[in-house]
Amino acid sequence: MFKDLDPILHSQLRLAVMSLLIGVKEAEFTYIKEKTGATAGNLSVQVQKLKDVGYIDVTKQFKDNYPQTLCRVTSAGIKAFEVYVQALQEYIKK
Amino acid sequence: MEEKQISEHEGLLLIQQMIQTAKKEQKDDGKGWIIWGWMLFLASILTVMNINFKWFQTFFFWNFFGVITLVALAYQTVSYLFIRKTEKVRTYTKDLFQRLNTGFFISLMFIIVAINVNISPTIGFSLLISLYAFWILIYGSALNFRPSIIAAYLTWGIGFVSLFMKGFEQVMLLHAAAVLVGYIIPGHIANNEFRKLHQRNKVVESV
Repeated sequence: MFKDLDPILHSQLRLAVMSLLIGVKEAEFTYIKEKTGATAGNLSVQVQKLKDVGYIDVTKQFKDNYPQTLCRVTSAGIKAFEVYVQALQEYIKK
Repeated sequence: MEEKQISEHEGLLLIQQMIQTAKKEQKDDGKGWIIWGWMLFLASILTVMNINFKWFQTFFFWNFFGVITLVALAYQTVSYLFIRKTEKVRTYTKDLFQRLNTGFFISLMFIIVAINVNISPTIGFSLLISLYAFWILIYGSALNFRPSIIAAYLTWGIGFVSLFMKGFEQVMLLHAAAVLVGYIIPGHIANNEFRKLHQRNKVVESV
C-alpha cells in the first residue's frame, strides 16, 4: 500500500523551493529565484501556495529602502517534506 | 524551472540537487583560519627570535599582534553595523559561527587580561592553545570537516604538553606548532577543497 504523494509538494518548482529552504534558516525571494531559475511571477504564485498551506512563512519588509521578501520553512513544512520524501522512497523501492 | 508535475525519480533528484545548492552556502574557504593562523605563528616565532636576539622587550611582537587584531576587529564591527553586505540567505551554521566567534573572542580577551594581571604567560599561552582547540573542534564538527576535528585533538595534545614546560621560549615554540597544526594546515586543506569545488561548479554551470 503506497501513500499518496502530497500534491502541493509534487510539483517541480514548489518542491525545489521547499528543498532549498529545508537546508537554510531563511532565504530571500531573489536567492530562491536565482537558484531555481524560475521567473519572478511564477515563483511568486508558488510561494503563495506554499504559504497558504502553512509550509512556509513569508515576511515582507524594507531593507535599506528596498523591499525584501524573506521565506522560511515552518515545522508543518518540515513534517510534510519528511512524509513526502518517505513516500517517494517507497514508490522508488517498488 | 517551471510549474509542472514530475516523476518520483525526478522528485528525488531535484531534492538532492537543491540540498546540494543550499549546502554550498555552508562551505568555508579557510582564508580566515589561514590569516589568523599565520599571524599567530609569526608572533610566536618572532617572539622566540626576539628572546634570543634581544631586539625589543619580550612581548613586543604580541603587543603588535594585539594592535593588529583590535584594528581588524574594529573594522569587522564597523562593516557589520554600517556597510554590511546584503546576505541573501541565512543558515543555521552561519548563525552558530557568529556566536561561536563572539564567545571565542570574549574568552580570548579573558585569558589575555589574566596574563596581564595575574597568571604567568607560560600558563596563559597553554590556556590559549586549549581555547583554540575548543574552537577548532566546534567549527570543524559544524562543517563536518575531518581535518579540523583531528587537528583539534592534536592541538589539545600540544597544549597539554606545554603545561609542563618551564621556559616561555618552549611554550612559544609549542604555540607555533599548535597553530600550524590547528589553523594553518586545516585552513590550506579547506581552501584547496573550496577552490576545487568552485572550479567544478563553474564547469557544471558552463555545460
